[in-house]
This record gives sequence, C-alpha cells and structure tokens, in this order.
Amino acid sequence: MPPVDTRQRHGPHTDSAVCPFCALLCDDLILRSNDDSSFTIRRNGCSRAALDFSRPATDEPPRVQGQATSHDDAIRVATRILKKSRRPLFGGLATDVDGMRAIINLAERSHGIVDHLHGDALTSMTRLMQTRGWYATTLSEVRNRADLVIVADVDFNDRYENFERHCLKPQTRLQGGRAPARKVVFVGTGANSPGVEVDMRLGCSRDGLGEVFSALLAGLRGHRMDARRPGGVKPAAIAELVEAIQAANYCTIVFAPGQLGSHRESIIATFCDLVDAINQQQRAALLALGGDDGGQSALSTTSWLTGYPLRTEFGKTLAFEPQINRTADLLATRTVDCLLWTDAYGRNPTPPSTGVETIVIGARPSASRRPPAVFIPVGTPGLDHGGRLVRTDSVVTLQLVAQRESRLASVAQIATQILDSW
Amino acid sequence: MLQRLKGGRIYDPQNGVDGDVRDLYIRDGKIVSAPVHSRQADVVTDISGRVVMAGAIDIHTHIGGGKVNIARMMLPEDHAADAVPRGRHPHIGCGHAAPSTRTAGYRYAEMGYVACFEPAMLPANARQAHLEMADTPMVDKGAYALLGNDDFLLRAIKAKRDPEYIRDYVAWTLNAAQALAIKVVNPGGINAFKFNQRKLDLDERNAAYDITPRQILLTLAEAVRQLGLAHPLHIHGCNLGVPGNLATTLETIHGLDGLRAHLTHLQFHSYGTEGDFKFSSGAAEIAEVINRNGNISLDVGQVMFGRTVTESGDSMRQFAGSIHADPKKWIGMDIECDAGCGVVPFRYKNKSFVNALQWAIGLELFLLIEDPWRIFLTTDHPNGAPFTCYPHLIRLLMDRSFRNDMLATINPDAAAASRLASITREYSLYEIATMTRAAPARSLGLDGFGSLAAGSNAHITVYQEHDNKETMFSTPEYVFKNGQLIVRNGRVTEEVQGATHVVHPQFDAGVDNDLRLYFDRFMTVRKDSIQVSDDEIRDNGRGEIVVHPTTPTC
Repeated sequence: MPPVDTRQRHGPHTDSAVCPFCALLCDDLILRSNDDSSFTIRRNGCSRAALDFSRPATDEPPRVQGQATSHDDAIRVATRILKKSRRPLFGGLATDVDGMRAIINLAERSHGIVDHLHGDALTSMTRLMQTRGWYATTLSEVRNRADLVIVADVDFNDRYENFERHCLKPQTRLQGGRAPARKVVFVGTGANSPGVEVDMRLGCSRDGLGEVFSALLAGLRGHRMDARRPGGVKPAAIAELVEAIQAANYCTIVFAPGQLGSHRESIIATFCDLVDAINQQQRAALLALGGDDGGQSALSTTSWLTGYPLRTEFGKTLAFEPQINRTADLLATRTVDCLLWTDAYGRNPTPPSTGVETIVIGARPSASRRPPAVFIPVGTPGLDHGGRLVRTDSVVTLQLVAQRESRLASVAQIATQILDSW
Repeated sequence: MLQRLKGGRIYDPQNGVDGDVRDLYIRDGKIVSAPVHSRQADVVTDISGRVVMAGAIDIHTHIGGGKVNIARMMLPEDHAADAVPRGRHPHIGCGHAAPSTRTAGYRYAEMGYVACFEPAMLPANARQAHLEMADTPMVDKGAYALLGNDDFLLRAIKAKRDPEYIRDYVAWTLNAAQALAIKVVNPGGINAFKFNQRKLDLDERNAAYDITPRQILLTLAEAVRQLGLAHPLHIHGCNLGVPGNLATTLETIHGLDGLRAHLTHLQFHSYGTEGDFKFSSGAAEIAEVINRNGNISLDVGQVMFGRTVTESGDSMRQFAGSIHADPKKWIGMDIECDAGCGVVPFRYKNKSFVNALQWAIGLELFLLIEDPWRIFLTTDHPNGAPFTCYPHLIRLLMDRSFRNDMLATINPDAAAASRLASITREYSLYEIATMTRAAPARSLGLDGFGSLAAGSNAHITVYQEHDNKETMFSTPEYVFKNGQLIVRNGRVTEEVQGATHVVHPQFDAGVDNDLRLYFDRFMTVRKDSIQVSDDEIRDNGRGEIVVHPTTPTC
C-alpha cells in the first residue's frame, strides 16, 4: 500500500482553500465538507470549481486490464510495461510541481517524451517566446495598474470566471499611484462573455481577431487601413479603440491561448506586435490566461529541471522537438510504444484513443470502453494531499494543502514507486 | 571516521594561512584539530604539493526564479550547443548561459564551489525560486529578497512611516520569502517604468510616489543596518549600463555617508563619457573612492566575450537594452506590484569597442581595488558571462602576460582607451582564496564557510598546481562538502543536496496585520499564500534550512 498521505498542513494555517482547477489558482475559497468527502463552495468559487469540488474522492481500486488488483501489483505491472517500452510518452501531465519532478525522473530513466494535455497552446507560447518574445504582466498588476483592459475573446464560461472579480472589476485598487477609471473592452464573439461587464465591445469572429488587432496596430502607427471592415468591425470602432489605447496609461491585452484555435500563434504575435508598438511611447503588456490542469507547473518544472520546455525527449541527450513530440501525432504515428497518462484533477480521465499500451494515473477512472493496461488511482493536489502549483502568469506559485482525510497517493508518490521498483 | 588530507599547501585567509604545508583532519563533516598521533586517521589522502582552499562561494549568481526560467525556455539554441549527455552527470541536462538547475549545480561543484546565492528573488516569486534552488544539487544556496520597487514600501516611504515600521516590513519580507539578505534593483525605477518613466536618476522623482531613488536606498540601507543583517544592502544602482553612470555611482557611495553597502556588478555602473565614442572607463575613479570607503564592498560582474543572456529585475534598463538583443527576441515583465524583469539574449564581441571596453573596465576594477576582502569574483552570471568562465577570469587576474595577450586581441580603440596594459598587479593564490572564499563567507555571515580552521564545515577544494591557472581552477582534483568527497578530478562522484541559508529577524505584528489587509484589498493572492514556510524548504527531509543569527542595533 502507498504511504497514507494524511492531512498535511504545511505553513501557516488558513481557513480558505486554493482551487487547483484552473490556472488562476484562487486562494480564497471557503469550503464546506460534505459527508461523501466532496465539498460545497460557500464563497468565492465559480461554476467550474463548484463542479470539480463536488466530486468525492475516488474509491476506485487499482486495475490491471480492467480487473481490480492490489496497489503493489499495479505498480509492478506499470513498471514492467515502462521497462519494456523503448520510447514511452508521458502525456496528460495534469499534476503539480512535485508530480512533475517525479515524472521527469521516470521519463529520464525510461528514455521517454513529456507533453502536456494542453501542449498545443503551451507550445505556441514557448515558440513565440523563442522567436520574438513579448512584454507581459501579472494578475495584480492588471488589477491595480491597467486603466485599459482589452479582452481578446476569452471565454469566461469555460474557465477563469473569477478573473472579473480579481482583475477586471475589483472592489479595491491601489491608489498610491495613479489609478484612473478602468475601461474594459471586449473584442470577439460576445456570446463568450455574458457575465463580464464591458465598456466597449468589438464584435468579431475568433478568426477575425488577427485582422482586428492588425488594424489597431496600423491605426496606432497612423497607417491607412485598406480593409473596409477589418475582421468585420467598423473602422470607426477601430479608431475609437486606437484613441482609447493612446489615451491609456497602462493597456493590457488579455487572451487565452488555449481558446484561440489553430491559428493562435499568428494571432498572439499580433497582440505582441501591438504591445511592442504601444511601449515605444506608452505602457502596455500582455496577460495570457492558460496552463490549466497543472500545465503551467509542468512547463515551468520541466524547464528548470531540463533546460527545455515540454515536448522534450530524454535520449542520449535531451532533444527538444516541439513540432514532432506532440501527443496526438506521436500516438497517431505510433512512434511511441507506450503512453503513461496522468490526470490528478479528474478533468481528463480518458487518455486519447491509442493502440499502444496505456497506463493511467488518475483521480477518476477512464470512461473509455477499452480499459487501460493499468489504472492507478491518485488524489488531487489541494484536496487529498498537499502540492505546489504555478499560476497562469508563471510568477506566483501557491502551496496547496489537503482538505480531506485521504488514503489516495499523489502522482509524485506513484511515479517514485515505479522508479524505485525499476 | 577521522580523515586526513596529508601535506597540502593551505590558503586560508580567514586564518591568515598563506601557503603553509599542513595536514587537514575531517570528522563528522567538520574540520577538526590534528589528533595527538597522526596515525589515528582512518583514511589518509596524500595531497602533497596540492593547493588547498575552502570550498568557493558565489555571492551573486542568477540560478533560480522566474527570469532564470524564462531564459531557459526562450533559448533552446543555447542548450543544443551545450548538451550534457546521459552519464556525464547524475542527471541529464544542458545549457551554456541558461543551464538547467541540475547542470548548474553539478558544474559549480566541479569548479570547487559549495555555495551559490541568487541575488534577485522577488517575494511574489519566492516559492518558485526556492523550488528551483531545491532542484540545484551539490551546492548550498540562499537568496536576497528584492525590495525598493514594491508598492507597499513606496507607499510607506511616501506616507513618511517611521523607520521602525519600514524595518519591520523588511524583516517580514526576509521571513516570508526565506531570504538571507535584501537587494534593491534600480530603486524606484522599475516601479516608475510601470508609469512610463524611462529613466530615473538618483535624485529624480518617481512621479507616482513623489520619492527619489536616494530616499529608497537610504531607507533600505538603514533598515538593514538596524536589523543587523550580516550582509549589507545589496545595491544594483540607478542607470545600469548608461554611459556616464560613473557619476551616479560615486554619488550613491557618497550619499550612503558611511552606511555599509554592497554595490553589485559594479562594472556595469563604472562608465564615463570621454572619447570619440562618448564611452569610457570610470574604473580608476571608482576604485579610488572604493579604496577610501571601507563601508563599501562590491562584486564586479565581469564581461567575457561570447554568447550569453542578460536576466535582470531592471525592466526599465532591460527595455532600453532590448534593441541590442542577439538573437532578436526578448521578454519583459511587470510583476505583481513587486518588481519586474527583463530577459535579453546578448553576445559580447571582442571587436566591439563598447564590449571590449566593458571587459577592460571589469578587469581594471579587479586590479585597482586594493582590498580583496571587499571585492568578489562574479560575472553576474549569466549577465556578464556564464559562471563557467570563472577559471578563465582567474587566469586573467593572476597572469599579466596572459592578460596582455588577451588585451592584444580586443578592439584596438578599446585597448588604447584602457589603462589595463599598464597595470602590473597579479593576484596571488591567497588573494583569490580571499575573494572567492573567505570574504564572501564573512560578508554573508556564513559561519563555518570560507575557512579551514578547526570547527569549520569541511568544505574543501584541492587543486593540482598548474602554470595555467585556468586549467588549475577548471578541474579541482578533490572537492569535499561536509567532509564527503563529491568531486574527483573535476567530475561529480556523489550527488548531494545543499542547505538553504536564511535569516529570520523579528518584527512587530502590526506590520503583519497591515500586510494582511493590503493583500486582501489590492493583491490577487492572500498574504499567507506567498509566505514560504520552513517546512517547505525542508520538504520532508529533502532540504535543510540554516537560520543565521542577526544582531539588531536598535
């Protein structure tokens, strides 16, 4: 049996909990425990957190080929599969810093590849970082400093619901500096932001975002615009927003890379260009909302431990191949022979359909009809055990503490047990 | 077990030992007095003729935290050109200017270093910095918390809060961030840049708060003095890299009026405006003032030629410098009402007048500043060059003939503009041991470090003497950490985890309460959430925390 991971309360005792279910990592949730080990959020939650906290801890046993088995047997079989594998893929990676540390060690031992379930969006960002860079900001800066926030089609229904409370419309902002009235502009498909109060709205499709921001850039530079309605937006509206940008002390463009579709890289490059242009005379910065399901933690931890971001292979030397080492492609082409899928948040319990042997380390059993070769249940960081998670802005890392008595092991423990039984 | 290192030549400036041939004895991780009978040793290692120093200490090296990790992510080309293959170290890794944490730890140990200090830890980012440092094996570590651009402090100074209140806030920060010292970067300037000020000289006003860098510097230096920290305020001053910043630096020293301070990467702050290129060396004037002012210590931030990446909290100056990015990419950031950062890849070229003169200015500082107890060997890794250049730098300091050979290869106008050729000084082994061991240990208050006296930690580096000092310092024959052999002939033999060095000065609960309210009202995390606990550093036995005493002066 794994060591009992009892209620670890590290650091200062707090009466509020950190929510691990999106990368905002709200740390002020007030929870009520229910008899079935689930939680009801009494204050400061959101619809996503309400759903995720309402799940009781899994009582699913470890399974091998769908059959319940002992923990030790599951570890033994998982180890055997990985040892046999010539090139395993460590996918999902929905875990925390400590889980990633252990997975990295396991990937190194087994000559594997690491990629996160949000690898496409995360890799777009790292590729932009590696090719042009940008000027970014963080949540508390947006809250206090920004007097113009341009929200680029973020779907707050899906996640980041509390961004409005923390950053867009906070009750209090620093007055020590200049804190002029805040203007919020939404650019995109209005249907995505019904709850967000905005001062100005430029309706365009997601595909039109690039055009709209290019037009803003052209307007800022004083260029004539050829397109009659860039992205379907009236030129007058573009001109009005250009004026707002020119009048602002600190403009922030907020976007969610994971929601911008397959053209995200060129769209985000336009955001970067606009911010660079504004910064020649005034101040502006970008804020990317992303790295959910432990994505930011996986990216950061992999980077400091190996030097490279995700999609790195542990061969004779490290090989960073962002275009090649993509989960979907590696599985479709069968260039890996094993998948170890990690999902400690229970949001992505079913690994991609694949013909290779699959090990699932998960907080919930897979819903797929064909069971994985091995399923090993784990707890969720911040519910069943402690953990550390990196926030969306990659600056603040939060310590999570267990909220319930749990016998479920952590991903870090499982990966370490596999390594120890190698 | 009693271990004897027999017959080495000992360079131990903390105890005035200059090349004496002596045996060293180690028991339970400490250096102990010689037993009555030398035959009592259980293990004898013959190091006759070898040079023996305490383990080296890097007082200023960017090894962990947000901007370091940004540099790693943005520079795959840096890593591909410097891969560490499987089997070379206990763990695979890579990276020349922005190495992985593990590779950095192994390489430091392989150069005989036993402790490294991250000089710019943002309190908002402290947990990540500690996680990265925990994943930096082999060496002990610690960090300096960044203050001086945080809105809380600037509000407090503007509101003319009394020095005790500021002192309490500084103490709270040291505790919350688990830091060893306080660093200030471009005081008030990073904050001013958020309000679109593009420069901020020592007596210029941060427009948002109507206070000057001078006020911030003096406020923090006084708070550090009152708290009785061993290491004085660690100052990255105004106008980094700006021609003519010599005047700012001299005025900063005068303005401190005898208060202890450490001026970091001083090379980048020692520029005049003479000559055809309006860029000249201010090293002689700076050195003269430093030599007269015993309250000032410094590290150099030596530039070496080649590719690197500049990582700094100074978003204002990094923005200005980003036009020189090579390759053409850079990241800037405004951070959490706390500070900022800028990461700009760069290539120092020996044929560039400016770069070549920067190289010469650094060496002039090393050679004209007389007291090796107050000047520390750094390249401000990786801003001037990666730390792996240290052996080459030591050769430049110890070997005038080699230095002049190198001088002949740089931009001739820069060589002519420098007085380097006329400087005859060559560092001795005793002086190298002072500036890389004894002095940084003393400056940081690390008892048991930088010394080979009985009672000290058995952090010992043994070198084979060589005419080529670069060869000698690149591959120590033995490195012992806490008495354990961790490196043999320049290769890691045993992976160990180092301790984290911190101070925990006391503070009044009033400031804690104010901070709770401040975070609740203005920040996007709660105050408790950014505090890093002792248990996190210990991490179930994986880490160790060493709390150093402070001696409050009031």
